[in-house]
Amino acid sequence: MAFLECRGVTKRFGALEAIRNFSFALRPGEILGLIGPNGSGKTTLFNLITGLYAPDEGEILFKEKSIVHIPPHEICRLGIAKTSQITMPFGTMSVYENILVAALYGQNLGMAQAHVAAERILALVGLHEQRDEPAGKIPAPLRRRLELGRVLATGAEVLLLDEVMAGLTPAEIEQALVLLKLLSTQATIIMVEHVMQAVMGISDRILVIHHGEKIAEGTPIEVTGKPEVIEAYLGKRYT
Amino acid sequence: MLMRRPGLNGILLPLLVLGIILLLIPLLGMAGYRLRLFSLIFMWVALAGCWNLMSGSTGYIDFGPVAYFGVGSYCTALFMIKGGFPFLLSIFITGWICAALSLVIGLSTLRLQGAYFAIATFAAAEALKQVVLESDRVLDIDFFGGAHGLTLPSPPSGIFFYYVMLFFMGLVVFLTAVIQKSKLGYGLRAIKDAEQAAELTGVPALQIKIRAYILSSSLIGCIGGVEAYWLTYIIPDDVFNVMRTIQMVIMTLLGGMGTLLGPVIGATFFTLISEFFGAKFVYDYLILVGLVIVVVILLMPQGIIGTLVKKRGKSSWLF
Repeated sequence: MAFLECRGVTKRFGALEAIRNFSFALRPGEILGLIGPNGSGKTTLFNLITGLYAPDEGEILFKEKSIVHIPPHEICRLGIAKTSQITMPFGTMSVYENILVAALYGQNLGMAQAHVAAERILALVGLHEQRDEPAGKIPAPLRRRLELGRVLATGAEVLLLDEVMAGLTPAEIEQALVLLKLLSTQATIIMVEHVMQAVMGISDRILVIHHGEKIAEGTPIEVTGKPEVIEAYLGKRYT
Repeated sequence: MLMRRPGLNGILLPLLVLGIILLLIPLLGMAGYRLRLFSLIFMWVALAGCWNLMSGSTGYIDFGPVAYFGVGSYCTALFMIKGGFPFLLSIFITGWICAALSLVIGLSTLRLQGAYFAIATFAAAEALKQVVLESDRVLDIDFFGGAHGLTLPSPPSGIFFYYVMLFFMGLVVFLTAVIQKSKLGYGLRAIKDAEQAAELTGVPALQIKIRAYILSSSLIGCIGGVEAYWLTYIIPDDVFNVMRTIQMVIMTLLGGMGTLLGPVIGATFFTLISEFFGAKFVYDYLILVGLVIVVVILLMPQGIIGTLVKKRGKSSWLF
């Protein structure tokens, strides 16, 4: 059974087709890696799924129900949350309050329950020391952690992670991978990532997107062997 | 585990004591000008507080709160004159009318952001003023009284308005404090910091912005109604005067936007210097008021409370 499914989704910006006739199905519990060169449409796809954009054609189904034209906050409550490539913390609020807001509204909890949930998530992502610091003032790697904490606190079943490892040092990537493995026990994950060893190592399946179209799909090993993929990344000469 | 909620209890007790003192003062024989001045301060604290409730907590600069002040004044006046309703009932209905009106205006304007929201709300206020001003002439009726305005029944003594204004000030401060630590308050702050991220986190942004807007607007409408009865005479140019909007904004910015005590300190300070200079330099006191404002803003760019909070290094927006 497909958990989250895109059927023939197309999104145009003027004459540009950012996503063209795109279909895929997400299985419950898996980690799906979404890779592709810059500008291939990965972030656009995420924005379509989370309701920031509406597709021009096609259907997006979550648990067999269409989520096209549902506003972002409702999609979040249905159980799909995403982190942003450019972190957008609630800058003047403390780290703890950032997670609290997500628990309050993402899970639609009351204050008392939300405090309990927020404490749990805070411990899970390991931001206890920074709990009272304004989220806008913590360093970038911690801000990525906070983004993870925030999507987790929404109680979402599907997490869309947009380059959560960008700009991290190798040591920090190791930590992030441990955290991601932990998250994958609680939710289904689609991750966009340019750090190849990370995405190849952790993903159950990989989807390669190029010029808005799916050019390959399969296990990491299958995908890296495909000439279309090598061509998209390195050019024709190398295939 | 016990949750830390900094500040709330620490600040509520002194406020409560202050409230009790203010309740008792008139009984100890304060009257005349002082009583009027205190009532005026309460009114402006309440109005600035309402503006802060909406704009301070969402970051959406509402440039048309005077719309509700004017509509509130006229509603109350009309209910009392044409309907013969008692004052408190008129105020009560006025509040609901302003709530309904702000829902309509909010639904359209709160989809806009930044300067566009400010311009739209400003335009709404001006449009409503023109409706009140021109309806009688255009429709050939005798209802709003056109530019001549309306005269209300003669009001009770100044002490009555002292207590009514004190009530509204207390209500606004209390609501602000409660909302700050409520689910609504956290949602509003999330919107202020990063609206799209808030939406993606499940915050129904439009809905809760409208809730804050309705609350703020209906209270402003009630206060407008109280002032109308207090002054007994209203004209569109006064109750819809854009200066009232600007005053709410300046008072809040002076005190510190988005803080509980900002509007309280800002409105008190502003009203006092206006009265002080107004008595001494009748014709050019506004120059001096302007000068003082410029100096304060230069020295304390976050507002009086806002700057103090920053100096004390607290992340909490609550003083």
